[in-house]
Amino acid sequence: MKVFEPRALRFIAAAIVVCNGFFPALWILFTSLKTEAELVRKPISWWPHEATLDNYVRAFTDQPLLRYMGNSFAVALGSTVVSLVVATLAAYALARLNLKHRQLILTAIVASTMFPLVTLLVPIFETMRSLSLLNTYTALILPYTVLNLPVCTLVLVSFFQSIPRDLENAAMIDGCTRLGALWRVVLPLAAPGVFTAGILAFVNAWDEFLLALSLNSSGSMRTLPVGITLYQGEFTFPWPIISAALIVAIVPVAVLIALFQERVVGGLTQGGLKG
Amino acid sequence: MTPAPPLTWLDKLRDPSERTLGVLLLAPALLLLALIVVYPIGRLLFNSFYDLRLSGGSGARFVASENYALVLDDTDFWNAAKNTVLITLITVPGALAVGLGLAMLANLPFKRQWPVRLALLLPWALPLSFCGLIFAWFFHTEYGVVNDLLQRLGLADAAEPAMWLLRPGWAFTAICVAIIWKTSSFMALILLAGLQMIPKTLYEAAEVDGASRWQQFSQITVPMLMPSIIVALIFRTITALQTFDIPYTMTRGGPGNSTETLAMLIHKTTIDYLDLGYGSTLAVGMFLLSLCVTAVYLRRVGNAA
Repeated sequence: MKVFEPRALRFIAAAIVVCNGFFPALWILFTSLKTEAELVRKPISWWPHEATLDNYVRAFTDQPLLRYMGNSFAVALGSTVVSLVVATLAAYALARLNLKHRQLILTAIVASTMFPLVTLLVPIFETMRSLSLLNTYTALILPYTVLNLPVCTLVLVSFFQSIPRDLENAAMIDGCTRLGALWRVVLPLAAPGVFTAGILAFVNAWDEFLLALSLNSSGSMRTLPVGITLYQGEFTFPWPIISAALIVAIVPVAVLIALFQERVVGGLTQGGLKG
Repeated sequence: MTPAPPLTWLDKLRDPSERTLGVLLLAPALLLLALIVVYPIGRLLFNSFYDLRLSGGSGARFVASENYALVLDDTDFWNAAKNTVLITLITVPGALAVGLGLAMLANLPFKRQWPVRLALLLPWALPLSFCGLIFAWFFHTEYGVVNDLLQRLGLADAAEPAMWLLRPGWAFTAICVAIIWKTSSFMALILLAGLQMIPKTLYEAAEVDGASRWQQFSQITVPMLMPSIIVALIFRTITALQTFDIPYTMTRGGPGNSTETLAMLIHKTTIDYLDLGYGSTLAVGMFLLSLCVTAVYLRRVGNAA
C-alpha cells in the first residue's frame, strides 16, 4: 500500500480505532456521573449536565466494593506469583536441559489451554469442596495458575532461549550451582520476560468469572467481576451505581496496561503466535 | 533450540544428573496439571455414570448410561448446544472481519502510536462480565445508547423502541455484537503483529507492477497474514465454545432459555441444582461437541491455508 496516506485519512482511521476502543468505557463514565433524574430524561443526554459523585459513594456503600477489590487483588496477585514461580522452573528446564520428552511436555502444558475449562467445572468444584477449600483464595489461585501456565511458560521459554548459555557457564565456572546461576544470572536477564508474563497472568486472573462465581459465592469472598453483578436487584438495575462501580473496577487494570502497553502487546503476540 | 554444548567435567561435578534436575523443575507444573486437569477429567467421566445429587442427601448411585440417554433426549441440552454453535459460527468470523479491519487501520503510520494501541488493549483487558454489563446498558430499551443512536439516525421509531434484551432473536443479536466487540481487539492485536512483519518492499514491487489496492490486499496481505489468522481463529473458536460471561451478565440466558449456552446449562445444573452426575454428563457432551467443532473447523481452516 502507498506509504503516503493523506493526513485526513490517517486521522479518520485513528479516530475509528480509538472510538471503538474507548467509547464503552467513556459511556459508562458519563453514566456514572449522571443523576437518576437526568438518566431517565428523554431524549437521553450524552454529556452529564448535572454531574454528581453520589453514585461513587453509593457504589462503595451499597456493596462491599473495597472488599471485592481486595479479594480480586489477592487472588490475581497470588495466582500471578505462583504461576511465575512454577512457569519459571518449568520453562528453564524446557529451554536449557537435555530432556528426552521436551517437546511432548511443552505440548502437554500448552494443550491444557485447548481444554475447555468449563467442562471441568464440576470435578474442580467437587475437589475444592472435598478439600474444604470452597470460599478461600486457594480455591481460585490453583485453577488460575493452571489457566496461566501455558502463556507464562511460552513467554519464558522464548526469553530463556534468547539468553546466551555462556553467561551461565561462566557463572558456574565461578562456583555457582546450576540453580544459583538461574537465580543470579538468568533470572535478572529474563526479568522483562517474567514481568510481561506476570502482567498477562494478572489480567487473566483479574478477569475470570465462571470459577469465581461457582467456587467463591459467599459474600465476603467474592471477586470484583462476581460482586459487580450483585448491584442489580430483582427488578431494578441502578445503572449509574453499577457504572460507577465498573469505573472503579476498570481503573487499576487500565492503568497497568497503559503503563506497560508495549510489553503487553509483545507478550500477547508472542504467546499467541507460538501457541 | 540449538543442541547443548558438550558438558565439561565441571558441569558434571556440579550437576550429576540433568534428568533429576529436569524432573524437579517440572514437578510443580505437572503436579498442578494433574490436580486441575488430569484428575478432574477422570473424575468427570466417573461422575457421568452416577446419579450424584447433593441436594437429595442420598449417596452416589451407579446408573450406567442412564445420564447419557437423558442428555440425548434433553431439549435444554440441544437448545444450549445450538446456541453455543451459533454463537461460535457468528462471532468467530465476525471478530475476524472486525479485527482485520481494526488491524489494517491501526497499521497506518501514525505519529503517536499509544492512543491506537491502548484502544486495542482496553477491550482485551476488560473482563468479559463487565463487557456484558456495559452492553446490557447499551441495549437498554428505554435509555440505551443503541436505541438512541438508531432513533437519531431515523432507523427506528421513538414511540416503539426496540426491546433488545426481551425478544429472543434480538437478545441473541445483542449478545453476538457484545462478543464481537470484546474479542475483535485481541484478533486485531495478533493480526497487527502479523501485518507489521510483511516486508514493505512487496507492496512497492506490486505498486510498480501496477497492482490495484484490492489486488495488493488479496495477493499479498491475506496470504502473508494466513499464519496469524489461523492462530487467532483457533484461539477464538476454543474460547467461543466456552461462552458464558457475556450472555450470563446480559440476559441470564433469557428470555426463556433462548440465549442459554452449554457452559451456562452446566453451571446451572451443577452449581444451582447441585446435580453433579447429570452436570458431568452434560460436560462430557459439551467436550465431545467442542472436539467435533474444533476438528471440523481446523480441517476447513487448514484446507483454506
